[in-house]
Amino acid sequence: MSDARSDHDRLSADLAQLRGALRAVDAPPLDEAALRAAVREARRRALAGPRARRAHRARWAAAAAVLVVVAGAVAVVLLGRAPSGDREQAAATAAPPVYVAAFQPLASSPRLLPAASYSVVRVRIPLSSLALVPGSEQGGTVEAELLVGEDGLARGIRFLQTDTMLVSAQP
Amino acid sequence: MLKTESRNEDGVDARLLADVAAGVEDAFVELYRRRQRDVYRFAFAMARSRSFAQDVMQEVFINVLENASRFDANKGSVRAWLFGCARHVVLNRLRLERRWTDDMPAATAEFDHDERLFTDQRIERLHAALARLPVEYREALVLAELEELSYAETAAVLGCPIGTVRSRLHRGRALLTAMLDEQNAAAAPVETSLQTREVCS
Repeated sequence: MSDARSDHDRLSADLAQLRGALRAVDAPPLDEAALRAAVREARRRALAGPRARRAHRARWAAAAAVLVVVAGAVAVVLLGRAPSGDREQAAATAAPPVYVAAFQPLASSPRLLPAASYSVVRVRIPLSSLALVPGSEQGGTVEAELLVGEDGLARGIRFLQTDTMLVSAQP
Repeated sequence: MLKTESRNEDGVDARLLADVAAGVEDAFVELYRRRQRDVYRFAFAMARSRSFAQDVMQEVFINVLENASRFDANKGSVRAWLFGCARHVVLNRLRLERRWTDDMPAATAEFDHDERLFTDQRIERLHAALARLPVEYREALVLAELEELSYAETAAVLGCPIGTVRSRLHRGRALLTAMLDEQNAAAAPVETSLQTREVCS
């Protein structure tokens, strides 16, 4: 036990001596000019860092823009997308049909009441049933909408413009 | 009184480091002048080589230039922060050194240990034994015993709990004592035989 204690004390004393000896160890003399040059170099690197990063980012942005343009052009070519004029025409074709007129009351039906609820039912009517159209016996149809009351009876009718044109085109 | 002085020193170092972070050249030169010996001595104590210590010192102060803004005064003094930087550099270099010297015989595997710096042979042997300790014990002993950092500061530099510092110091001291005893035992018969030869002649 006392041996361990004396070992501990001896080592402590030796470490204290080593500490003292190390205190006397000198670092190499300061080369102030070299040190200042190192500071300037580090500052230059630090400043160049963000500038280089900005340039790098700009290069990437330009490359991305070129990529987007090329991809767009390729998509237009591959998908055969039409120019804007044709697109507008296509949109017009796909637009909902324009109605010729408001609903016309049917002669034999009860009156339309503003507070009552009605359903709109689209039907295709054979031209043969409309004796008014010349040549209707040849089997054409016309599309119309019926206004149907809660009792199931039709209250009004209107013909769609597209079908009107279709009808006129029929031989 | 000593504590107050140390606190004032810390304050000066912290102000200089803040100026270094702001790019003030003179502040860096002044900080270097004040703390280069600490860093050099730590590296020298760890590796027992002047050239190694000089390289470490240069690398540490380059790191200081680049990372001065990362210093957090709440985590410890500038001196302790510098020891932390120096420790990283030392460990990296030791690792590299070991990689390069793996094929060499064990006796020459680490550094140029022939440097004679201390006239007292006993101190020379103690330093040589210290440089052969496993790194975790060596760095704890150098920081706490030779650089006289507190246990808390040593723990902060090593990034481990205070209890670990204590146990590493205890174990390091035990290993050091055993190594020195071994050296003494090996040296004793040589001395005896030399004496015998002198008597005979």
